[in-house]
Amino acid sequence: MLRLTAAAALLAAFALPTAAQELRLGTEGAYAPWNFINDAGVVDGFEIELGNAICERAGWTCTWVVNEWDSIIPNLVGGNYDAIMAGMSITEERMLTIDFSQDYYPPDPSVFIMAGDASFDFGALSGVRIGVQGATIQAAYAEANFAASNTILAYETGDQSVADLAAGNVDMVLADNGYLRPIAEASGGAFKIEGPEILIGGGVGVGLRKADDELEATFNATLDEMKADGSLDALIGKWFQVGPFYSQM
Amino acid sequence: MPDWLTALLGPDLSGGLAYITNGKHLQWYGAFRFTILAGLLGALFALGFGLLGAAAKNARLWPLRQLGNLYTGIVRGVPDVLFFLFFPLAFEQGVEYFLALGQCSAEEVAANPGVWPPCPDANLFFGTTEYLLLACLSLGLIYGAFAANVIHGALRAVPAGQLEAARAFGLSASQVLWGIHVRQMWIYALPGLSNVWMILIKATSLLSLLQIADIVLWADRLGSPNFQPAAGVIHPDWRWRYYLVLFIFYILVTFLSERVFRALTRWAGKGVIVADNP
Repeated sequence: MLRLTAAAALLAAFALPTAAQELRLGTEGAYAPWNFINDAGVVDGFEIELGNAICERAGWTCTWVVNEWDSIIPNLVGGNYDAIMAGMSITEERMLTIDFSQDYYPPDPSVFIMAGDASFDFGALSGVRIGVQGATIQAAYAEANFAASNTILAYETGDQSVADLAAGNVDMVLADNGYLRPIAEASGGAFKIEGPEILIGGGVGVGLRKADDELEATFNATLDEMKADGSLDALIGKWFQVGPFYSQM
Repeated sequence: MPDWLTALLGPDLSGGLAYITNGKHLQWYGAFRFTILAGLLGALFALGFGLLGAAAKNARLWPLRQLGNLYTGIVRGVPDVLFFLFFPLAFEQGVEYFLALGQCSAEEVAANPGVWPPCPDANLFFGTTEYLLLACLSLGLIYGAFAANVIHGALRAVPAGQLEAARAFGLSASQVLWGIHVRQMWIYALPGLSNVWMILIKATSLLSLLQIADIVLWADRLGSPNFQPAAGVIHPDWRWRYYLVLFIFYILVTFLSERVFRALTRWAGKGVIVADNP
């Protein structure tokens, strides 16, 4: 019996890739409210609802694959999933390896979060420990602009960088406004957002393999539809309490 | 949760109980099945490879003997984490290589230089089941090499007189091998095998390296700090608490294993004359 089960599993392993109607979406699962694993143990968040809505409109059967942020682009190219929806900003560097759909969240400024009683001279930052999530636009920006006279610390997830801020191991964290704002508001004064708002990146889009032009066209057409009828703005309003961005244009 | 239970426990305790029984935690508890399966199936494979390896090391044919020595020598020398990463990946890409030979046209291969796999048809998607099976096979291969050495030594420890006596009674070669030699070998092999089992059990904590959502990965996810009200209870870094639960689980497994091996040793020692036979 055991041998039979093993043989069946091996057969399943050799089965050909899934049919065109099925789509696997890759996400990080650790970047609330964009995408996270909820108390029920399943992926949830703005991008999960949006992705499911797109799949429904396009007639795809979609499943979510949780993948670490560090390897999320290589594993898209390698074929572990067909699209990335993980709060990924559209940048020139990323466009060298993958394609993006049009943006489904407008360019989001990056902000600094720090302890509620801290104060810094943002005109001349020096000797400050700045936390970022590795392989993000903020990590690249901090490395280019602050590394000379400050210490940059890169973390695997955004939550780990904020945890180290709470523990006093870094002085401030640089990340997306949409990610840090709810943290500061829920902290009851323990954290605050201060300093300049920095605009890096060009909005958040769906990451796709360069060869998948048809898939990209469908994503773009569906996003056009959802922008026009206001359903995208409704989702953004629900998860971020901002907007509308798209339906009035 | 029923009302009477909430009333009985009070707000603090019932809140805690609700927290550790939410869906996230239930998935964590469910993930223990991967670890237990990997341990048991891995041990079964290890025993199989161990017997094969020991047979090869004891073989009369020179090339077979060298093959056995090569297997135990190389696999015991490579760090288990490395082998654990290497074997499933090598297996997957090896299969993809043969798929590509059959499925991909020459034009497709030429159009995608340096891209793996060279065409979408040759791409394998491995999920938890496949990786779990490969993990068991890897564990079997790694610890089979250790088991082979243990069994090889145990086979030599059986007194030659026992085998000679069996042959003198007119037993056939296979009767001598299985009825006398292998049967008496266990009492010498069990202390070593119990050691191998303990190390194998510890290696089951590596499953998350193969993208299996195992107990270690879930402990990491659950213990990770959370500052987002949308994502559930807000808490700082709690990972040590979750790792502590895993410590206790592994210690319990060790404790249970010792009892099982004690019983096995009693069975193996029946009727066998050994100096330290309990």
